[in-house]
Amino acid sequence: MSKSQKSIARKLASTLIQRWVGHAYIEEFLGDLDEMYEDRLAARGKFIAEGMYWVDAIHLTVGFSSTVKKQSHSMFIGNMIKIAWRSAVHQKQFTILNLLGLTLGVATCLAIGLYVYDESTYDTFHANGDRIYRINQSMIWGDWNEEFGSTGPGVTEAIRTDIPDFEQVTRIFYVGDQLMRVTIDDKATHFNETKYYAAEDNFFKVFLFPFLKGDPKTALKEANSIVITASTAKRYFGDADPMGKMIEAKSTTGTYTPFTITGVLADIPTQSHLQFDMLSSLYSVAGFKDQRYTWIWTIFGTYGLVNKGTDVAALTKKLQALPPKWAGQTTQRVFNQTFEQFTKGQPWTLYLQPIQDIYLAKSPGFNRFGPKGNPQFVMIFGAVGILVLLLSSINFMNLSTARSSNRAKEVGVRKVLGSKKSTLVRQFIVESVLFVTVSTVVALILVQLSLNAFNTVAEKKLSLLPHLTNPYFFGMLAAFILIVGLGAGSYPALYLSAFKPAETLKGKLRAGFKGTGIRNGLVVFQFTVSIALIICTFFVQKQLSYTRTIDVGISKDHVLQLYNMHQLGKGVDVLKARLQNNSAFAVVGKSSFIPPYVWGGDRYRAEGPDQPVVDLHYMSCDENYLRLLQVEFITGRNFDPANAADKYNIIINEEAARILGYGSKETWGDKSPLGKFVVQSFGSEEKLQIIGVVKDFNFNSVKQRIEPLLIMNSDNDKHWSYTAGFPSYLSMRLNPASVQNGDELQRIIDGVKAEVTKVDPSVTFQYSFMDEEFDNTFREERKMSVVLNLFTVLAIVIACLGLFGLAAFSADQRKKELGIRKLHGASIQHLIFLFSSEFTKLVAASIAIAIPIAYLMTDYWLSNFAYRTPIDIWVFIIAGVTAMSIAAFTVGFQSFSAANANPVEVLKNE
Amino acid sequence: MSRVIGELEELILLAVCILDGDGYGISVKKEVERHTERSILLGAVHITLYRLQDKGLLKSHLGGSSEKRGDRRKRLFRITNKGMEQLRASQDVRQKMWSLIPQLTPGS
Repeated sequence: MSKSQKSIARKLASTLIQRWVGHAYIEEFLGDLDEMYEDRLAARGKFIAEGMYWVDAIHLTVGFSSTVKKQSHSMFIGNMIKIAWRSAVHQKQFTILNLLGLTLGVATCLAIGLYVYDESTYDTFHANGDRIYRINQSMIWGDWNEEFGSTGPGVTEAIRTDIPDFEQVTRIFYVGDQLMRVTIDDKATHFNETKYYAAEDNFFKVFLFPFLKGDPKTALKEANSIVITASTAKRYFGDADPMGKMIEAKSTTGTYTPFTITGVLADIPTQSHLQFDMLSSLYSVAGFKDQRYTWIWTIFGTYGLVNKGTDVAALTKKLQALPPKWAGQTTQRVFNQTFEQFTKGQPWTLYLQPIQDIYLAKSPGFNRFGPKGNPQFVMIFGAVGILVLLLSSINFMNLSTARSSNRAKEVGVRKVLGSKKSTLVRQFIVESVLFVTVSTVVALILVQLSLNAFNTVAEKKLSLLPHLTNPYFFGMLAAFILIVGLGAGSYPALYLSAFKPAETLKGKLRAGFKGTGIRNGLVVFQFTVSIALIICTFFVQKQLSYTRTIDVGISKDHVLQLYNMHQLGKGVDVLKARLQNNSAFAVVGKSSFIPPYVWGGDRYRAEGPDQPVVDLHYMSCDENYLRLLQVEFITGRNFDPANAADKYNIIINEEAARILGYGSKETWGDKSPLGKFVVQSFGSEEKLQIIGVVKDFNFNSVKQRIEPLLIMNSDNDKHWSYTAGFPSYLSMRLNPASVQNGDELQRIIDGVKAEVTKVDPSVTFQYSFMDEEFDNTFREERKMSVVLNLFTVLAIVIACLGLFGLAAFSADQRKKELGIRKLHGASIQHLIFLFSSEFTKLVAASIAIAIPIAYLMTDYWLSNFAYRTPIDIWVFIIAGVTAMSIAAFTVGFQSFSAANANPVEVLKNE
Repeated sequence: MSRVIGELEELILLAVCILDGDGYGISVKKEVERHTERSILLGAVHITLYRLQDKGLLKSHLGGSSEKRGDRRKRLFRITNKGMEQLRASQDVRQKMWSLIPQLTPGS
């Protein structure tokens, strides 16, 4: 191995030897170490080789350190370590508090660091990663200024014709839940696939996901070919070779389409924003061939591999010519609108987003093809991590400074005996660097041990070990150790070593020691952070419990909902009839969506000249579902199965009535929207008559305001929609009387499962409860609150450790003063008050500073929510009182023992 | 000269003898590990080699580099006459002590 390839860790080790081992030995030893390294690298891998290099280097250094010419250094190092050890043992309490606080802080920061690192390094594994971009566009179905992560397939076609700067452009398409069947030895097994995409044949020219079997060039060329991941292959075929085998996809009409397996991929890394188990060829998707030039089928992921050395800014500018040139054909054909009429002057922008940015970018906030990170959480965690580290470092410096003033006499004696100032400076710095090193090592061990628990809470797969061989990681640790060590050591080092020995020995230093201002400032800072954290955590909790109590306008309790009902095809009505006979259910309804997940949307306008085109959410359901939700009708009526015309009639919500231009209940008077028509601004121009208006209810997460909604009859067979006529869900309202306990509930669910199997055994049985789903929309926030609670407690513990240490120090310093006061007749209560007030003043100051900061932060965070809990004064009061009592308790012990001491004992030795 | 030397010292002396002029840190370490089937640290080998040299049982010179070592020379050790004497002496001690063990018949 040439010298240039040597890792930083090894260079450091060899520097160690060069510094501390006699000159005559260096050449030989370094040679030996390198030779051994090579042997071990070949035999046992980099990790062991690197580690053993260090072990050997340190062993040699220790063994031969006496051979170095400048003997003073190595002798002093030994001596310094001895002195450091003695003073650490001498003041056990301080030492332990000091190390504990710092270790906790470093461990917390490390854990958060791992989390943040993991979140911010998504998609960095791609071989061509620096050249892969996703093409985003304006959100043409809502706020045009928003960036949207999907485009129509036409964008790719246009780029291929007009823009030569791309080496490849490829499209993927999210198929959705798909029931698959595999037949092995005449035995059919069904799997419900949720991570199933269709991809164009050049997909693997852009993304070099490694193939275990098959040829990436041809795998997706033919229609009805499919590529699966290794674990999917295992799931379907066990250990048998899946290549060339068939699996079949069930359509909504109940027929099966066979797919041939043409490749097996290694499992997709967790740090990928694309997560799939199966990729079929895009040409297998019904309608893709005819629709591939369209610009409004905006559910495709479009990814481009740009040529080497492309100027991305210039390329982005070039892309802007595409929508006006190409999209107009689509809008003309579908909406009968020119491009300008369709956009109404708003910019139809195309964006290029580097692949590494997709996961954690603030916008687009939604990823159709896999996980999406939350940059706000990462920022909050990062900030908390840095704060906790800062707190504990400050704590450490604070306590070290306080502690060192006790050693003024030692410094005096040393000086009298001929110590140079530089030696003393070095002594203090070596001591504190040593402390920080010990803490850091313990913290590393602590993190490694608690990582499993942390992973469970954060739902991550973090590990520390791979980082240990990373030179940058080592560099950062070393930098941290040096900065904190020097910071904590330099104050006493420079301050104490400058004293005249005669004065320090006479004891004059005590009176003149001026560290208190800085120390008090640091305590105030620590408590400010802790109190602010307490308040913020409190509001996060408060907001979370508030969202649970918000009246969503529908009755979400006791609703059991079954998924994958479209897999039944027409069988859903059979199942519905069977379930209706079950006395446990008050009502059974079918629907195309279930709150809080009503994503469907389309463009409509009220009938009549010059009516604006508006975006409405829609869902289709039967009359039972609206009864089940217990929505309130402001006017009009529910669907009536006896009335054949109702098949094509619709119900809208208040917000939709408003946005369609009918006004609200108060303003429409006798001109209510009942009987009016809404026109789908798309294709057929089919007219839909309004028969009812329902009160607004939350059909999506309560994070959002209620949006306009159009409810269609699920029997409507004319309306263009994926889901019309094929509801995906059956929901049941449980009779509260029949579910007194968990066993009964389980029996009911088992009964439903049996019914589903009776109707169609291939259907995947999956269910949920509506109230739990509403809760789930706050999963991320809840996860955050757990982690935040944990770190708040840590911050408080660290701050208290600091305060305790300082109080103990101060008690020690002031024991004579308190003794004299006692002799003159001060009562114990008075002394405790006197002693504690010094610290309560600091905490009071912290409270005063923390409240406005916490208020601003809380206000900012709550602005994410449409429904927010009020920022109540009493939270601040409780937080303040809590902080004050924790501080009082911490100091109380010290003040009590200080006040209680026998004055004779403290005053007798002078 | 004492009659006996330490066990590791003896093993390393023997290894240097076996290697016959090719003995340096790593080759000695490997030789000892091969025969004793236990692993020892490089530092321990070096420390012992130099201690033996200080006692005058070994002599050394620098020579023989390789690319693996980054073109650094190795220190090659050779046994001195005194070293050979020492080895023989400790061998004798052992022999003598062995001969003093009462002859045990198998099974008794």
